[in-house]
Amino acid sequence: MKSAMAAAIVIACASAAPALAQDDPSIAIRPFVFGSVQSFTAIDTFDAVFGRAYDPFYGGGVQAVFDGKFFVELSASRFRQTGQRAFISGGQKFRLGIPLTATIVPFEVTGGYRFHFSPRVRPYVAAGVGSYRYKETSTFNDPSEDVDVRHAGFVVNGGAEFRAHRWVGIGADIEYSHIPGILGSGGVSLQAGEKDLGGVSARLKLIVGR
Amino acid sequence: MVRFRGRTAAAAAVVAAALVLTVKGQTPAPSLHIENIGLSAVEENTAIWSEARPGGRVDALKRAARETAARNSRVGASGRSYTPGRVIVRFHDEVPAAERRTVARLASDTADIAARPSYADFDIVRIDVNEDAEAVAAALAARPQVVYAQPAYHMHATMVPNDPNYATLQWNLPLVDLERAWDIQPAGASTVTVAVLDTGMAYRSLTITVNIPGFRNAGINYPALGPSVVPYAAAPQLVGVNGANASRIVAPFDIISNGVVPPLDFEGHGTHVSGTIGQLTNDNIGEAGVAFNVKLMPVKVLASFWDVIFGNAPFEGGSDDDVARGIRYAADNGAKVINMSLGSSGPPDCATNPNRDGCSPTIEAAVRYAVGKGAFVVVAGGNEFEDVDPDFGPNPTSILAEIASRINGAVSVAAVDPQKNRAFYSSTGSYIELAAPGGTSRGFGRGGFIFQQTFDFTFTDTFDPTVVPPSQYRAPRFDVLANIGIIGTSMATPHVSGIAAMLVQQGITDPAAIEDALEKSAVDIGTPGRDNSFGFGLVDARNALRGLGLSR
Repeated sequence: MKSAMAAAIVIACASAAPALAQDDPSIAIRPFVFGSVQSFTAIDTFDAVFGRAYDPFYGGGVQAVFDGKFFVELSASRFRQTGQRAFISGGQKFRLGIPLTATIVPFEVTGGYRFHFSPRVRPYVAAGVGSYRYKETSTFNDPSEDVDVRHAGFVVNGGAEFRAHRWVGIGADIEYSHIPGILGSGGVSLQAGEKDLGGVSARLKLIVGR
Repeated sequence: MVRFRGRTAAAAAVVAAALVLTVKGQTPAPSLHIENIGLSAVEENTAIWSEARPGGRVDALKRAARETAARNSRVGASGRSYTPGRVIVRFHDEVPAAERRTVARLASDTADIAARPSYADFDIVRIDVNEDAEAVAAALAARPQVVYAQPAYHMHATMVPNDPNYATLQWNLPLVDLERAWDIQPAGASTVTVAVLDTGMAYRSLTITVNIPGFRNAGINYPALGPSVVPYAAAPQLVGVNGANASRIVAPFDIISNGVVPPLDFEGHGTHVSGTIGQLTNDNIGEAGVAFNVKLMPVKVLASFWDVIFGNAPFEGGSDDDVARGIRYAADNGAKVINMSLGSSGPPDCATNPNRDGCSPTIEAAVRYAVGKGAFVVVAGGNEFEDVDPDFGPNPTSILAEIASRINGAVSVAAVDPQKNRAFYSSTGSYIELAAPGGTSRGFGRGGFIFQQTFDFTFTDTFDPTVVPPSQYRAPRFDVLANIGIIGTSMATPHVSGIAAMLVQQGITDPAAIEDALEKSAVDIGTPGRDNSFGFGLVDARNALRGLGLSR
C-alpha cells in the first residue's frame, strides 16, 4: 500500500502540468486514497501496548466538490497493529509479552470549503462526524474477552490540495479526531485515565479528478 | 490414613512473643554433628491432614520466552494467533510442483513453497513475515488447485498437571485460576528466586548425630536419649529424586545459628510452604506447586521444638531481630520475592506510634529495605480471628501484616476456604490486602486442607503425646515425607508469593507494581470493593499474568 501510494505520487508530480484548475466543474466526483500517521491522544495507553503512541492509517474515499468550493467527503481507513498486553503502575509501563492486536476502522463523513488563493494550491477546511469500529484480540483470550465495538466521534481537518496534473491532486492536511466511549472504561486506558481513541494525524491524499 | 494433631489450629508461627517451650532437665547439647551423607527420603503416598500444624521436573512443557513469543506471534482478524511468515496449504495431489508455485505466487508476491516437512500431507508456503497470513490463506483457499489453506495457528498446552493429588486434593490451585496462568507462563518462574523465611527447608539429605537430653513437655517427663542418629532427607518434591533439581536451591542460610548449621526444617512448616510456592509439578508424583520451576532460598528464622532440644535455638519460634536479619539477607542475596508465613499479635496503632510497646520498627525497616532492593514481600494475615489476646483483645492485629499493608511492595494475605468464604481463623482488619486459599478444617473434611509434601509428623513429633504415646517416645526421623494437609494464612501466603514470582518473570519487576497488579487483578469477593476480610479480593493468577489490553 505504502509503495503503491508513493509511486503514484511520484508519477503525479513528474507529470505535473500547468495550472488547470480555473474551470472548475459544477460537480466533481473525486476518488482518493490516503495514508496518514496518527499521534494518538491516549499517549500512555498506546505507548504501553505498542511501545509508541503514533501509527499509520491507510484508507480511501470519495469527494463531491461543488463549484470547486464546497465539498463533501466520505472516507474509510484502517489501523491494525500488534503489540503486547501491558500493565501501568506508578507511571511505569510493563509489557507482558502476550500479543495483542488492535484494529480501528473509521468511517468519516466531512463537509468543507476550498479556498481559491492560487490556481494550483487550494487550502481547505472541513469538519464532520465518524463511526469508529474498534476491535481488540489477544493470545490466550476467551472469545468473550475480545472487544468489538463501534462508537461515534467527530473530526476536523485543514490543509491544502496541490494540483499536480489536470486530473491528479495531492492533498496534505492535519486532522484532529475525538472518539469517546471506547477507551477509558477498562484496560490500560483506564489505568492511564485516557478516554479518547482519536488524535492528531498528518494525512497525505492522492486525489483523482478535477 | 487419617490423623489429627492435638494443638489448636495456628498456622502462623509466633515471632516476637515467642512460645517458650517447657524444657526442663539437662542443658541442651550445644550443636548438631552433621555429616553430608544421607539416604533418600521415604516417600509416602498417603495424604495426611491436620488442623494442628503451625502454620517434577517439567518435561520440556512449553518454552516460548515472552519476548520471543511476541515476536513470533501475530493475532489474525479471526482472533487466533499464528506464526507469521508461513501458510499451510494442501494442494490437490494431481497439481504439479510448478503449478503449485504459480498458484502460491498468485496469492502473494513473496510466496515460495518450502520443502515438504516430514509427516505432512501438506505444504508450507513461506511469505513475508509482515504479510497477513490469514488473507494469503484465504486467497489460496479460493483457488481450485487447493484443498485447504490456513495460517499456522498457535497451539498451546492446556496445563493440567499430572500430579495425582492435583486432581483429587488441590482445590486451591484451580481456585486462583492457575491452570490458565500456566498456559501463559509455562516456564513457572524459572529465573526468579523466592526466599522462604520460615522454619527451614528439607533441601538436603544428611545424617545427624545429636545428644538428645531429657525434657518436660505437656506435663510429661521425657527421658534423655543420649547420642542419637537422626536421619534427615531432602524433600524429593522440592529438589528432585536424589537431589536432581538441587540447583534450584539458592543461598540457604540459618539466621538463628548465624550460618553455623544449615537451615534444616525440623518442623515441616517451611517445607510445606515451600511446596506451595514451587513443588515440582507434572512429574506424576504428589501435588503441584504454583511457580513450579522457581528457585528457592531457605532462610531459617523460626526455630522448632527439636531445634531447642538439639541446642540450636534458645526457644521455639523466632524474634524480631532474626526476622529482620532474614529479610535483609534475602534481599541482599537476590531474592525477588520474600515469603513470610509468620506473624505475631500486637497493638493496632503501630502506624502512628511505631515505638510503642508491641510494635516492630526493626522489621518495618527491614521490609522497607527489601522493597527498596527490589524484593516483593508477602506476609501472612494472621490466624487469630477467633482468639482473644490478653493484651490486644479479640481478633488482634497481626503486626507484620499491618506493616506490610503500609508499604507499597509488601502485601498481607488472608485465607479463604474452598467456597471462597473467609476461613474461620483468618484475621480481619484494615491491614488485609489480598486473599488466597488457606483451607479450613470445618465442613470440608480432608477436602478443605492445603496439601503439599513435607515430613510425616508421626515420625517427627515424637514429643507430642497426641501424636505418639509417651511410652513410645523415640528419636525423631526426618526422612519420611508424605502429602500433608495443613491450614492457615501461612498456607495462603505462598500462593501469592508463587504468583508474584510468575509476575516477575512475566515482566513486572517493581515491587510496588507487583502489588498493584495483584490487587487490581484480584477477584472481588465479600463486600464489594476492598474489605477487611479479603482486602482487594481473591488473588487471580491468570488475571495478573495476562495484564491488560487497551480497552479491557
